[in-house]
Amino acid sequence: MKKLRRSMLFLPGANAAMLSTSFVYKPDSIMFDLEDAVSIKEKDSARLLVAQTLKMPVYKEHNIETVVRINALNTPFGLKDLEAVVRAGVDVVRLPMTNSAEDIHELEAHVERIEKECGREVGSTKLMAAIESAQAVVNAVSIAKSSPRLIGIALAAFDYLVDMQTERGDGTELFYARCAVLHAARVAGIDAFDVVYSNVNDDEGFLKEVNLIKKLGYNGKSLINPRQIELLHNAYAPTASEVENAKKVVEAAEEGERKGLGVVSLNGKMIDAPIITRAQKIIELAKYSGVRKEI
Amino acid sequence: MKIQKEAMAGTLESSDLLVKVMPNTGIEIVINSDVNKQFGDQIRAVVNQTLNDLNVTDGLIIIDDKGALDCAIRARIQCAVLRGAEEENLDWSKLL
Amino acid sequence: MYDLVDYTIINISKSEQDYQEIKLLLSRSDLDLDSQVTLFMVAKIHDKIIACAGMDRNIIKCVAIDPQYRGNQLNLTLMDQTIKYANENGYFHLFLYTKPENIDFFKGCGFYPIVEITDLVVLMENNPVGIKQYCKQLNAQKKEGKKIGSIVMNANPFTKGHQYLVQYAESQCDWLHVFVVNENASQFSFDTRLKLVKDGTNQIKNVTVHASSPYIISRATFPTYFLKDKTKIDQAYMGIDLLIFRNYIAPALNITHRFVGTEPIDEVTKAYNEAMRYWLEDNTVSSLPAITVVEVERITESNCVVSASLVRKLLATGQYEQVKTLVPPTTWDYLSANLDKFKI
Repeated sequence: MKKLRRSMLFLPGANAAMLSTSFVYKPDSIMFDLEDAVSIKEKDSARLLVAQTLKMPVYKEHNIETVVRINALNTPFGLKDLEAVVRAGVDVVRLPMTNSAEDIHELEAHVERIEKECGREVGSTKLMAAIESAQAVVNAVSIAKSSPRLIGIALAAFDYLVDMQTERGDGTELFYARCAVLHAARVAGIDAFDVVYSNVNDDEGFLKEVNLIKKLGYNGKSLINPRQIELLHNAYAPTASEVENAKKVVEAAEEGERKGLGVVSLNGKMIDAPIITRAQKIIELAKYSGVRKEI
Repeated sequence: MKIQKEAMAGTLESSDLLVKVMPNTGIEIVINSDVNKQFGDQIRAVVNQTLNDLNVTDGLIIIDDKGALDCAIRARIQCAVLRGAEEENLDWSKLL
Repeated sequence: MYDLVDYTIINISKSEQDYQEIKLLLSRSDLDLDSQVTLFMVAKIHDKIIACAGMDRNIIKCVAIDPQYRGNQLNLTLMDQTIKYANENGYFHLFLYTKPENIDFFKGCGFYPIVEITDLVVLMENNPVGIKQYCKQLNAQKKEGKKIGSIVMNANPFTKGHQYLVQYAESQCDWLHVFVVNENASQFSFDTRLKLVKDGTNQIKNVTVHASSPYIISRATFPTYFLKDKTKIDQAYMGIDLLIFRNYIAPALNITHRFVGTEPIDEVTKAYNEAMRYWLEDNTVSSLPAITVVEVERITESNCVVSASLVRKLLATGQYEQVKTLVPPTTWDYLSANLDKFKI
């Protein structure tokens, strides 16, 4: 089964307590932040802490993907961050403020050099691009297609909305960007991640947004509070009736194949290849995450 | 590597540690831990190993541990030592 | 859910509201607001101060936490922020005053007790070997002898009175250790004061002049000494300073006697001299050997008691001929070359 990336939990890179316990919440990915969540004075200490934390075996044991948001390469910290985390074995490097395919190419060249220097398999460090400006949204397709290392692109709202001269509201303000980023990801065959929902006490608002991006087709969302992980995973889990229905679809398809039927139907509706693929995915997901609990 | 000036790294928060370093002739290590009874030996081993890997020859190292994991102990010591030794060029192969 | 705690620095001399809030918070922990502390690291919830730690340069005091919010994590974070703030401002070696009942908590923050006045106050430092290392350095300068004397002086500046005290003490002892107060809180800088003491005692045999340390009459051990307005005489602080001398400094150098000039004018110095007899000589206050206090009558010059404060006064008003009669030639050499510095 393809790696699920529903939840990406943001953790401030300087906080030892959070870093040492985060895996217990079992997010699909953990993103250690060396950028905005770390003050200038603590850039060096956070870099070392994250690098040492990455070496803990718990992430592999729990099938949690490790992501590090490094500082931009044009800051005094970006390259040092990259040196540390690639050597420490990070799964994915997230580049903030990616505005063009060239930004990814520059990053990629450094990653490859470091991989060679430290004896890590070339190509094993994956990348993720953060889309956080109008320019980046417009360039989303070329960014998404810029490197085989890219596993996804993530929309980040804060700087983007400043750029767009608006602010966070009911979602209207993100309408175009969400669609554009998602399309770019699908064209490139990679994952798409939605913005963080920062009001950690508003579960209802959070779930409303989750349902919206799920319907759009997003793979998942960035999170800032571990409490949101379970809510998100549950919302992404198929319902019992969806699973039931998917099983029937798969059974009918198998039945049709055995009988050598060209066209299969279920309850009077034709079942074609995309419907079968989707049904198989639902069953797989249900095996992994269980069925949705009503809350 | 010698500690050239006073420096610190880390915090006193739970699951973290505060490491202070200062100039000294020879190495002197003082460990003060909340979990000294159960993990004192293990902490000391991590501390010694980390200082050894960095090749620290002179310095007073004071550690106030709040139940940190080994990875945090290593990271905080490395950071305090590098700050105190005013070392800019890092040899990552020794640090990781 | 949880309340977000903000940690920030406030200056209570700049805000009446902050001042009142801090005062109230301290009083709920039975603490007085120390007049020397204006900077506080505070923890706030919804803009209300719930914990504070006062900072006077490298000295932390007036630490209090709202009883409602007492819990280790808040305490620790407050102390962590306080230590960081001091560090960023260049203070690495920190001292802390607290009540003896809090020793264990502050041990958990990396502070180690130096001396304690039972039930009243304890002085701690954030270095487990701080005072030990200092004593080790002193120990290297130990001299053999049965009667080892000591004098602690500010020498602001060094006068004939100081010179006489050194001569007299040396004549009574096998060796004499002179400590020059190492704080730049006086009119004459520490470097100048030290130089003038060394120059003025050059001819006297068997004397070692030491630069003092934070452990002997410093802002940390005896803050009252450096107050401009010396109205409040704090017995506890004197006890701290003198117990450090008795328990650490004296044993490192085998000191058996402490010499001091009589003090007819200054109230704090007078009280300190009296306190000396108690904290250095009384056998109930320390398990370490008593140190004999010898008060030496001050010399006079044309019916005036020779004192550094008199010298400063005369300098300020330009009465140089009189100054010349009160200080040794070595001090006069320095003063006469720098007269423009002292005029008001």
